Amino acid sequence: MRNARAILLALLLLNSVALTGSLAAAQDDDEPGKAPEDLWSIEYVSQSYPWGGDSDAQFDSFHDLLSMRQRMQYLAERNPEIFEFHDGMPGGVNDRGIEMDSDSYKGWYYKDEIPWMKITGGAEGVEGGTCDPFVGDCGNYADRPDVLLVGVHHAREWMGYEVAMLFLETIAHYYGMAGGDNDGDGLIDEDPWGDADGDGVLDDDGDCLMLNESYQDSNGDGIPCGPGDLGVDEDFSEQWITDLVDTREIYLVPMLNVDGNRYDREEFCSEEAWESCPSGGWRKNLRDNTYTGTTPFPDLQPGVDEDCDGVDLNRNYQFEWGWPLGATLPLIPGTCTPSEDERAGVANNDVYTGPFDTVDNDGDNRINEDHVDGKDDDADGLVDEDWDGGNSEPETLFMQDMTEMNDDDGDGASDFKATLTWHSYSELVLWPWGHCTGCSATDEAELAYLGMQMAEMSGYDPMQSSDLYPTTGDFCDWHYGVHQSFCYTIEIGTAFHQRPEDINHIAVRNLGMPFYLVEFSDNPVERARVGLENWSRSHWITPPANVSISENGPIPIEMCIGEQFPWSSDINASHLTWRMVKPSRIQSDYGPTEWLPEKWQKAPFDETGEQCVLADGNNGSLIVSDVPVPDDISGQLHYKASLGTMSGTYPFQYPAQGQYHTMTIPYRAAFGNTGLAIMLALLVATAVWGGLGVALRVMMDSGKDEPALSQDEAH
Amino acid sequence: MEKSDQFSGRVGLIFAAIGAAIGTGNIWRFPRMVGANGGGTFLIPWLFFLFIWSIPLVIAEFAIGKRTRVGTVGSFRILVGRKFAWMGLWTAWISTAIGFYYAVVAGWCVKYFTLGVSNGLMNVESVDVWNAFLQDPGQVIMFQFIVIAITVLAIWKGAKAIEKANFYMMLSLFAMLFLTLALALMMDGKDGTFDGFIFMFSVDMEILAQPETWINGLSQSAWSCSAGMGMAITYAVYMRKDEDTALNAVTMGLANNSISIIAGLAVLSAIFAVSDDPLSVVTGGSSAITFLALPEVFAQAPGGAVGRWVMMSAFFLSLSFAALTSMISTVELCVRNFVDHGIERNRAVAFTAGAIFLLGMPSALIWIRMDSEGVAFPEFLEVQDHIWGYGLMFSGLFIAFSIWKYGWTKWRGMVEEGTAEGGVAGFFKHGMSGFRDDYINTGDNDIWVPRIWDFIMYFAFPILFTVLIASYFGDLISGYDPWYAAFDPFDPHGAGIILAFWGFIGVSFVFLNDYVLTRRPVYLGEGPWWRNLHRRSEWEMRESPLFRNVPEGAEASIAELPGGDDPLIVEVGEVPPGWEDVYGDVLDAELT
Repeated sequence: MRNARAILLALLLLNSVALTGSLAAAQDDDEPGKAPEDLWSIEYVSQSYPWGGDSDAQFDSFHDLLSMRQRMQYLAERNPEIFEFHDGMPGGVNDRGIEMDSDSYKGWYYKDEIPWMKITGGAEGVEGGTCDPFVGDCGNYADRPDVLLVGVHHAREWMGYEVAMLFLETIAHYYGMAGGDNDGDGLIDEDPWGDADGDGVLDDDGDCLMLNESYQDSNGDGIPCGPGDLGVDEDFSEQWITDLVDTREIYLVPMLNVDGNRYDREEFCSEEAWESCPSGGWRKNLRDNTYTGTTPFPDLQPGVDEDCDGVDLNRNYQFEWGWPLGATLPLIPGTCTPSEDERAGVANNDVYTGPFDTVDNDGDNRINEDHVDGKDDDADGLVDEDWDGGNSEPETLFMQDMTEMNDDDGDGASDFKATLTWHSYSELVLWPWGHCTGCSATDEAELAYLGMQMAEMSGYDPMQSSDLYPTTGDFCDWHYGVHQSFCYTIEIGTAFHQRPEDINHIAVRNLGMPFYLVEFSDNPVERARVGLENWSRSHWITPPANVSISENGPIPIEMCIGEQFPWSSDINASHLTWRMVKPSRIQSDYGPTEWLPEKWQKAPFDETGEQCVLADGNNGSLIVSDVPVPDDISGQLHYKASLGTMSGTYPFQYPAQGQYHTMTIPYRAAFGNTGLAIMLALLVATAVWGGLGVALRVMMDSGKDEPALSQDEAH
Repeated sequence: MEKSDQFSGRVGLIFAAIGAAIGTGNIWRFPRMVGANGGGTFLIPWLFFLFIWSIPLVIAEFAIGKRTRVGTVGSFRILVGRKFAWMGLWTAWISTAIGFYYAVVAGWCVKYFTLGVSNGLMNVESVDVWNAFLQDPGQVIMFQFIVIAITVLAIWKGAKAIEKANFYMMLSLFAMLFLTLALALMMDGKDGTFDGFIFMFSVDMEILAQPETWINGLSQSAWSCSAGMGMAITYAVYMRKDEDTALNAVTMGLANNSISIIAGLAVLSAIFAVSDDPLSVVTGGSSAITFLALPEVFAQAPGGAVGRWVMMSAFFLSLSFAALTSMISTVELCVRNFVDHGIERNRAVAFTAGAIFLLGMPSALIWIRMDSEGVAFPEFLEVQDHIWGYGLMFSGLFIAFSIWKYGWTKWRGMVEEGTAEGGVAGFFKHGMSGFRDDYINTGDNDIWVPRIWDFIMYFAFPILFTVLIASYFGDLISGYDPWYAAFDPFDPHGAGIILAFWGFIGVSFVFLNDYVLTRRPVYLGEGPWWRNLHRRSEWEMRESPLFRNVPEGAEASIAELPGGDDPLIVEVGEVPPGWEDVYGDVLDAELT
């Protein structure tokens, strides 16, 4: 945009007339509804991202492991205060007392390390906080909720890491920015993810709906102005993203199964996998199943045996491992049943769970007597201490150790309150359980509520995982079952290998969900309950039109909140955030008004004891915050409320997602003193008109003897 | 070849200079600056800098022009030396580049006058009127053309015509503004409070203590008086011998400020009378206050339909005249430089006016955008203003530089002759006052300029210049994160684009110094010159002549000046040696 304008500017200076003619020609457009170019910037319409970079970074082609890692490193170098790039983990003695090192997490075959990014901001950023020698990251804070986002358990599901990379690029670019106009329509932060205003329409600002109908379904999914279309959820709040990064720790693992992904790309399919593997591809990791390690026979298949090798990583987690639901177990270790046609997606070994565990994990001379299900099966007082199998692979061990060793507050439990894993395909949002049908999780209502919110912003179908098909040993069952983490599986898109031209709009459609998950990671249960009670939407804050500005003194801003809403009146938890924005004292003479924002400040909320009516018609309690705007300031007041609960969930924001209300505050103090004003007026008049009078007088006088002076030759 | 030209008298010069100084800055920028900088508080720095910056600089300009008797390019060539003629070109370019878009802005003013006269601003949404006008290329171009046409008419015939146009326009402007003021005060006093008046003359000590207030006072004073723009050099060319530079400068500066006060009081009183939140109205973006707020305010003038018509018409007429008289000085500044170099006045006027019309067109036509409040604004024009506006400060710096150099050279010469002592003390005694002794207090003067002028030019000026430039670029840069992003030359609102254009212009002008300004190619062939551009044999590089406009009885020697003893510098009407083949014929024709 800038470059184009400047070039235009230079051209026009050289040749103004020719170009002005063509400009006038471009103006007439009488079709019903607008064209995208009429509403938005060229950059937005062509979906070119403001961060530049090559076609991979612009999501016009797929990254591979190498280019993805380089891009992650580049972003980490550019944003050292919020990003910390890692390859694998250094290891040490893990939670189960086993000595691990960095080699323990390398893939079986290519021996690559798993690249990942630690993301957190705030005052000290990712370089502050405490450092964890096992995981290898710094920026650990006991009071920040942790989030784990993982892509590519399954080698061929390439969109998983592309969505992760778009999430990363978005943070890298927009973190710390002032509210911006992402789509070039002149408005700022007008359309955040999801249905922010609660009217049931995703396109909060209605700009997509202003388009001519032929433009409304830009991603071609058959839904006009649906998720992923131009103009839908396109102008999110930079401040909201910044707040999230500053108050959360995000662990982003875009590509867990690096081994399998390389194999899928380099050997099994090809670089253009959407052509060569239209409906199949390599799914598992690269464990050599024909190598027993103990038999005297030499390994029959020193390379990868495409018929037999590999473990389905999303069947390899320990929780309820081995229930042969939708998975295959090895009847005899080291054997397999050859598949019919892997490339066509017909395979019966594709969901192999990995080998049985033959170790007596607790040293009681029995094996596998207490498998991982959260119960004390053998009644020895220990829970899940001798597992049947699972977490046998470098990749799943990596996940297990990253989860179990990430304990900033030292309470012995993992810090991941919310987790997300990206898969392909089917356009679904899934939540536990997966291992049982007809069963429901303890937090089913809450899991479903948050899942449905994500489904709403993506247009994906929400369901309990086992309603799709039952599984065993999957990522989310383990995280929820063992660590009570709210875990979601997103089935992205419509193919394992999407076509490159579809990467962009599919990634955009999926972008809101991880941010939403990051937001609710502080207390998913409470967040969901607040949502279920419809508190977020029935609470209201006085809109600018209804604020009464008194002649002097503070300006009261009221909120009506649910009577049972467990808000905390501590200013750190609940406050009105406000700032004054004054016109710049040096305005450009011909441009729009330039505003200078002051710093955001906090003002506490107090109870009034009065009742009010919530937006849903129920009774609520009225709370008020007195904003101390000085009388002698005029300008705009920006305000928004953040409420925190007694149990520390923070923040619930009004208006939602980092937006704020804007109202005009007049100058309310006296303009001055009449007597003094008259004195100054006299003084100025004397100086200016008196001076002018004297000057004219001198001039007149000199005019009289002009001839004399003009004959006087000086020097 | 022409004869020397001059103003008919002192009144003519004064009115021309006042007309140049008084522009839209007095009527639409000044009230906003008062509003944004604490009302009466602002008057203090603004008046202070009139005496510390604007008047001293204008004195210098008048003195330079009066002695050299040529426009900006020639003035620098004569006063500072051959190598420095490009500084004069810079000064002329900045003024002309501002003129490109200023003609468009002046067109807006005239348009609003026509609207006011035809009651086109009554009972309408002023935003709609403004947006419709700005987005109608035909209208904007038409009024831009009208402004340029009036300007051409006014300057075609030279100094006498210029003074006549300025005289009548300025007199009407005074009358119309007083009328507006009277009506505005009536409005303000209706509720018995006069709060517009009170605000305009009340001092807030807190705001007075802020550096920003002082910086704004300085920049307002500098721009409003056109100090450093080269305008005073240009008009001084037509001065008679006995004119007093200092007195003229003082008169012009005070007249300029008194018009500002009248306009400011009129605008503020009217707005305070009708608006609930006058400060927001006054301090908003600038075109907004003039073309959006004021029509609505004036629609509530006392005296019924007649009163409203009078107020609307009177205000926009005075605004139009203010803009037109400034436009006249801008065009004349450019024309004078052409005439100095031997180009016929008619041709120079036609070429300058045509260039201003064509190069102003982009400002009129393209990048007409909507701001977030739904008000149209011309972004290309704004970017032009952003790029060239502060170039004026460098024009001022060059003028100050010429004075520094003069004083220094004179003192060095005296030291070599043995008539002055060396060292700092010697410089203070002989060097610093050099320019003032030789140019200002010449003996023709009515008022004697004291030594403080030397201190202002040598010490206060560089400090204030640095503060202004540093604060301007500092503000620009502080709006960027990271700071160096401000230097992206492709960002039309950054600092980089300013430096890029300044750098390009500056470097080109230094180059042109030797190939156009002091030496230039002359076409000697037959037939139209553009057909033989490629034939080097048809062209010859010659030292450029310079024609001084020395009215009768106004001779003063320039032989002592660094660029003064050049045989090619002649008076208007003379043929420079070696140029007989070019100018001889024309001269003969004219004499018969």
